[in-house]
Amino acid sequence: MVATEQPLPYIARTNSISAFVEPPSAGRRGSATAIPTSRFAARSPQPPAASTPEMNRMSDSSLKGKAPSGGTVPSSQHSSMSAPPPRSRYDPSLRRARKPRSQYPRGGTETHVEYILVASFDIDRGPIMEHQYPVSITGDEHMLAELMLPDQAHVRNQDWTVFFLHKDSSQEEDEAERREKNERRARRRRIRDRAKGIIHESDDEADQEEDLDDDWDDDVSTDTEPEGGEGPPLVYVLNLVNTKQDKSVKRGAVVKAMAICTRHPFLHIYKPLLLLALEEYFKSPVPETLSMLFNAVNEMDLSLMPKLSLLERYLLQASDNKDLFVEKFERMIQARITEEAGDSATEQPLDASKSPPKRPGIFRMGTKAHIEGHAGYAVPRDTHEFESKVMYKGIPIPIKVPVAVMPETVGDFSLIKLIQTFSEPHAKSPQVFSLHPHLTTNGPTTHPIIVLINALLTQKRVIFLGHNMPSGEVAEAVLAACALASGGILRGFTRHAFPYTDLTKIDDLLNVPGFIAGVTNPTFENHPEWWDLLCDIPSGKMKISSRIEAAPITEGLVYFQQQNPAYSNLINGASGSGSSADLTGDAAFMADMMRSIATRAGERVVRAKWRDWIMKFTRIAAAFEESVFGASALYIGSDESDAAANSVGGGVGGAISGHGYVWPDEATKAKELAGNVTRIDGWRNTRSYYSFIQDVAQLYTVRPLKGLDLAHMHDRLRAQKLSPQQSKEIYEALAKYVHSYDEICLLLSVAPESHAGLFYVALGLFHKDRDVRIKTCELLDRIAEHEAGQHWWRALSRFEKLAYARIKKEMEQETKTRLLEMDSREGGGVYSPVENKRVS
Amino acid sequence: MGAAMSLSGLFGKLFGSKEVRILMLGLDAAGKTTILYKLKLNQTMTTIPTVGFNVETFTYKNIKFNMWDVGGQDKIRPLWRHYYSGTQGLVFVVDSSDHARIDEARIELHRIINDREMSDCLLLVFANKQDVDGAMKPHEVTDKLQLTKLKDKLWFVQPAIAIEGEGLTEGFGWLSDNIKKMPKYGGK
Repeated sequence: MVATEQPLPYIARTNSISAFVEPPSAGRRGSATAIPTSRFAARSPQPPAASTPEMNRMSDSSLKGKAPSGGTVPSSQHSSMSAPPPRSRYDPSLRRARKPRSQYPRGGTETHVEYILVASFDIDRGPIMEHQYPVSITGDEHMLAELMLPDQAHVRNQDWTVFFLHKDSSQEEDEAERREKNERRARRRRIRDRAKGIIHESDDEADQEEDLDDDWDDDVSTDTEPEGGEGPPLVYVLNLVNTKQDKSVKRGAVVKAMAICTRHPFLHIYKPLLLLALEEYFKSPVPETLSMLFNAVNEMDLSLMPKLSLLERYLLQASDNKDLFVEKFERMIQARITEEAGDSATEQPLDASKSPPKRPGIFRMGTKAHIEGHAGYAVPRDTHEFESKVMYKGIPIPIKVPVAVMPETVGDFSLIKLIQTFSEPHAKSPQVFSLHPHLTTNGPTTHPIIVLINALLTQKRVIFLGHNMPSGEVAEAVLAACALASGGILRGFTRHAFPYTDLTKIDDLLNVPGFIAGVTNPTFENHPEWWDLLCDIPSGKMKISSRIEAAPITEGLVYFQQQNPAYSNLINGASGSGSSADLTGDAAFMADMMRSIATRAGERVVRAKWRDWIMKFTRIAAAFEESVFGASALYIGSDESDAAANSVGGGVGGAISGHGYVWPDEATKAKELAGNVTRIDGWRNTRSYYSFIQDVAQLYTVRPLKGLDLAHMHDRLRAQKLSPQQSKEIYEALAKYVHSYDEICLLLSVAPESHAGLFYVALGLFHKDRDVRIKTCELLDRIAEHEAGQHWWRALSRFEKLAYARIKKEMEQETKTRLLEMDSREGGGVYSPVENKRVS
Repeated sequence: MGAAMSLSGLFGKLFGSKEVRILMLGLDAAGKTTILYKLKLNQTMTTIPTVGFNVETFTYKNIKFNMWDVGGQDKIRPLWRHYYSGTQGLVFVVDSSDHARIDEARIELHRIINDREMSDCLLLVFANKQDVDGAMKPHEVTDKLQLTKLKDKLWFVQPAIAIEGEGLTEGFGWLSDNIKKMPKYGGK
């Protein structure tokens, strides 16, 4: 409503950021809902002069009443003008309003912390387990005690370690989980069928009721996203060990350790609690001390933390925006308030514009209004972190839980720190490696971080050694390396990681093909037969083992050489050349990375860049397989795309049927492939390769826009010189297919804010074809209404926004003229049946 | 050392002195850590049980000693073997006042030096805690440890009082003299 008369709607939008410091309820309303509403008004084909504002608002709210504001507004609502062809491939359930869903719902069966353990170093017997709560953890108790007392614990007062347990959940748990999952699936199927008009015998009122209360039942996508990989989730153990000098005891010291075992990857949040609880245990070494901690941490309330889909998590992870998805938190709170107010209002829509008096309690955390004492709920200051607290012995301990945790991200670590540790010594005096085709992809002076990532991708045995360092530091390096290699895309690293281990586990360690381990004992350096790559943290030097297995000659390499004889001499394994040319682009990438770090780009940016690197690697690998073997399981296109292409008929098929990584030309492609051949071949037989193939297949089933490779289309806009006709096809395809909530998320994910955001998409506003300009305009309209897209829209350059406004104006002008013409022709009312049909 | 030369080895070369790796073992509470820090810092430290290991480097008679002191509790003794490879000298520390466990010490010692990886190394035994009343004399320790049974092995028993530093220089004097005679050391 604010912007109905405003010629440039985006001005209002930029202002709405300040809404957080204004009177909360009104301000929040403004930012959350006023804009979409106004956009509807502005886009209405009815001439503003003729239609009353009331009319507009009514039609808007009646539409929006079915869905939470800005959330999963079904695509059909957007189509008042663009009217895409009916698409039967839409799952009807996507059209339903998505209920906010908690990551850790109240009353869930899963506890935050599963076990608390205490071990001590007995001067006669070595490490022993003292207590376990609530029950004994199964498995080798003595091994656990050894892990809890890291080497050299006696020389420091305090040390942290992390280690993982591969504990199978008991059979009953599995059974229960499977049953529950099946029930959920069945329920969801019934709902879908009902939406399609199929009626089951079992459908009854009780069932209906259950659906409404069912926290789990919302979107299809999140439930089937790949998460676990092989076997049950790991148990993560955070361990604190303290050494206290004590003259009164034999041999002068007491060494005790306390550990928290959880399946949450954000185990670092428990650090302050372990500090308090271990101190307490030194005073009263009884099981009650453990149970007190156990109860305290498990009472932590995370139920208002919304669950995000994989795409949403990617977006949040890669964005620095503190407001991204704040609407989800609001909806969680709103649902809670409604719930607490009694169920009389359960059926009320959550739309803010309709229920201003019902939102008294939502403030921004830390704002004046929040601090000034209304005990209401608050959305977090930064949507990347959910703020909660744990009451321990009457003291509230503030806790911040990461909202979007990517696969393979465990604990808190710094990629920047890892990169700097091994880059700085290299920058001073370049390290010369002995050559290995899988590892030294840029020759003997390959950047150490690239050697590391190559080693991880090709499943080598990697050891981080930190002599005289707290074991917590080596553990951090291992966790960072896992995240580095995963990029949130590949899996199978944490499952074979040993963030801290010691000699006692060496036999088990050597049974693992390809591991990432952290140790503090320098004797590991004297055993090159135990590892392939040793990363010495204190010196920042890496060493390739003299005993590393030679890379086998593989089919991929041979075929590539046969098919590309002109480039075969560039392959690093062949001659050791190719070092100076930087065929892989890694030298340039690392230089850019170091610049980003030097200019204080921040951890999130660095992680996003690595994610891009891994993404690029997988896409190059797919291109390699397709070019060498003729097919690849690393990318699933679909018959649908062909079908869509055929149905479109005229030309668009060419733009949308392409897929995969985009090179400016064939020669560049061949060179880059030549640079990557050896490590791709090394990767092709690893766990992360196979699990990636599984993930690709699984993701394909839940992915929106199956037939299209949006990344490919966007990359073509970005990297290639396109004829107007080619770019027209791409822009038209984008405008035609990107409608629903998930589809827009997907588009945003291929155009991250950290790159150019919507810049290349919005370039369509300048296309010489008027139709393309209008279609792009409409696409941007949809994006601007999108919960995440609004932030991308705001970041758009002024130049492009002006173009947008100009096109909008032209369109309005034109409609007006047309209507006037019609008016004069028919001499009738404004609300002609034709127009009405188009609005509703 | 070949291609995989260790960093410490490299630095050792740069500074001209050669480094030898010494492994110090013995039952728990024999005095290993005390000896290590007496040699390294010339200080008597109150030590607490070693969790895992200690390792220090110090130079004596122009030889750079890289000395490993590994915890002695029986549960962690199986780990000793991981420290064997590349070791040129074994320092075995015995609590001479602990008559009850001298047999246990003998069994452990023989287990170590019978390992193939330890076949070439020198053996220095510190008969520690000579200041305690009733402590076994060096020849008693020699007998109890059955050192005379050892064939093709250079060994030496040195009485010592680690907390006062007594006997340590003598012991290491023997060690460094014999290290210089080793073909491995001279040949490198």
